[in-house]
Amino acid sequence: MFDLGITFTVYSGENSIDRTLPFDVIPRVIPAEDWHRIDTGVRQRVAAINLFLHDIYHDQKILKDGVVPSELVLGNANYRSEMQGFSPQKGTYVHICGTDIVRDDRGLFRVLEDNARTPSGVSYVIENRHLMMRSFPDLAEGIPIADVDDYGRQLAKALAEVAPEGVSDPAIALMSPGVFNSAYFEHIFLAREMGVPLVEGRDLVVERDRVYMRTIKGLEPVHVIYRRIDDEFLDPTAFLKHSALGVPGLFDAYRKGNVTLANAVGTGVADDKAVYAYIPRIIRYYLAEDPILDNVPTHICREPEGLAFTLEHLAELVVKPVGESGGYGVIIGPHASKRVLADLRRKLKSDPDNFISQPIVNLSVCPTLTRTGVEPRHVDLRPFAVTGESTWVLPGGLTRVALRRGSLIVNSSQGGGSKDTWVLV
Amino acid sequence: MSNTLLARFAQNVFWLGRYIERVDNLARILDINETYARESHGSPDWRRVLEIYGDTERFDASRVQTGEHDVLNFYVLDTKNFGSLVSSVNMARENARSIRHLISTEMWTQLNTFHTRVLQLTQRDIWPTHISRLCKEMKEACQTFEGVAEGTFFRGPAWHFYSMGKYIERADQTTRVLYLGCDLLEEDRDAVNTVRWNALLRSVAAYHAFRWVRPRGHRRGDIINFLLHDEGFPRSVKLCVGSVEIHIENLVLRRGQPRVPAVENACTHLNFVLETGLGHEISAPALRSFLDQLEIGLIRVSDEIAAAYFRMG
Repeated sequence: MFDLGITFTVYSGENSIDRTLPFDVIPRVIPAEDWHRIDTGVRQRVAAINLFLHDIYHDQKILKDGVVPSELVLGNANYRSEMQGFSPQKGTYVHICGTDIVRDDRGLFRVLEDNARTPSGVSYVIENRHLMMRSFPDLAEGIPIADVDDYGRQLAKALAEVAPEGVSDPAIALMSPGVFNSAYFEHIFLAREMGVPLVEGRDLVVERDRVYMRTIKGLEPVHVIYRRIDDEFLDPTAFLKHSALGVPGLFDAYRKGNVTLANAVGTGVADDKAVYAYIPRIIRYYLAEDPILDNVPTHICREPEGLAFTLEHLAELVVKPVGESGGYGVIIGPHASKRVLADLRRKLKSDPDNFISQPIVNLSVCPTLTRTGVEPRHVDLRPFAVTGESTWVLPGGLTRVALRRGSLIVNSSQGGGSKDTWVLV
Repeated sequence: MSNTLLARFAQNVFWLGRYIERVDNLARILDINETYARESHGSPDWRRVLEIYGDTERFDASRVQTGEHDVLNFYVLDTKNFGSLVSSVNMARENARSIRHLISTEMWTQLNTFHTRVLQLTQRDIWPTHISRLCKEMKEACQTFEGVAEGTFFRGPAWHFYSMGKYIERADQTTRVLYLGCDLLEEDRDAVNTVRWNALLRSVAAYHAFRWVRPRGHRRGDIINFLLHDEGFPRSVKLCVGSVEIHIENLVLRRGQPRVPAVENACTHLNFVLETGLGHEISAPALRSFLDQLEIGLIRVSDEIAAAYFRMG
């Protein structure tokens, strides 16, 4: 069991379309005071993001005040003009948020990315804990570890809070693209944890702007949908015409306020790389508070001082084009050739608006079991925040670990694994 | 919410019940045939199994060889045969997969392990020296699943559909096995060919139960009546149909579903056939036509359940 190379099949004996994630048996421990900072910081961030989304889909004060450049928001691929003027229940757009946090070489927690669309991974948090407790039942004895089992109940409660007006006992459903989705296990897991039906588009129908599911009794109403399907696929009459996953008329029913979608449509504009750079200012603008969790220091090249700094330290920085996603066009200064840097310098000067730059963050490490014993490996952390009327953060989170020595890449597709995360109370 | 069940899931869980029961029945038939149902030269009569499942034509069309190994291959390993053991376990798992959030984790885990085991089966496992062990293992896996379901499956609408599928499949199996009785009736008009009647009883796990009811020997027709009508024998057609009715009734009374007259009528009709369709003097032709009616009645119940509950409309 202790040999590395034992890949824990968390969801035992699945065939190839289900995922397995390597699991490291040494838990990551987060002391109470550190967790307090993360918990309050994440809640602050989610509050600001919800206010920001409400503003840009209504009066756009923040754009008019010049705090965030209009074109960055209105020209964003994830901005949905269809949402203009629509107010979701309780002003909550982002009901489920996964905030990727790293710790730098000074010990400061910093947010790397906000995942405000359909963040996944929470099932690993809970399954990892169960796996840990099954394998080492006496390990946690006498240690006050926060419980992670409450997620499903908290989520169901939050979703009930944002049900359409006048619905006292809302019917909640989890909407999945289906068994071939890579996160399908998590959909099953969440439906079970919440005690709600796991539906697909074909199980739902819209009649007179109300949403129903096809049950053994006939059509029964659905009031809240936790959808694990992207905006574009929700409704072929509103977005992508050829989406077979969606439900015709769903968006109209949503706009009329007859069904709540979680997360709301159009939240992608808030977790965009370009907008990310402005989140500290967004927090100050709406909440008049300093951010509890900082960003990774980000230089916005559309601003003269940001551009000047970036050009001066080009060889030490990571430069990212803001329009792209998935790491396209990212140039890592120390690894780039002189020619690439010269080329980048030219691009920065001619089109500074399109770039941001960041220092390379030396992620913190955790003791991790390897072939040659316990060694340090780099980690990050994704806590999950659930928002109905208020925000609750699951005390724990997905700790991803780069299993390769020296690697900073924690993604499961590139040799990353996960750890149980113990928040001390 | 616990009484809400998507139509699609009702269908999945109904077929989960059917497939598990089917594998259990098939494994039993293959085992009994290997062990007890010998023809006059003492080798197992594999045509019998083909006849039970009405597969003679399909089997003959699909191959040149018709030896024991070929029949076993057809019924155990052949994935092109949708009725084979491997195909049925695949289907059981596929159905379970869609309703994984509705069944218990223990049910899923057990079935998943069973499925993995079935995928590993090879030609060697169906050798004459191995087949009995394999059948026992398959039967036990189904019975384990059934036991896990009994102990862990939430008694909501899904449970009722699971049970309906199971009992309809079981009634169907007992009916099919009874067709063998037609041949036995024809072959020995007066005597009771004990060995072959006993094999028939064993094909539906009825041997000891029947001994219990008729300890001092029996008359012509007793075995047939027992398999059809006995209220204590868990695989009698009567008990199975009665169980289907109980689950339909519970859907209405305890899970708040509306009454569906078409389903209830189909059950009433089936019961009527069962009670009145076979006279006192049991002859081979009379039994055959009665069993035909029974089969039609069972199909009608199944179809009405599908029409009432599985429609996506």
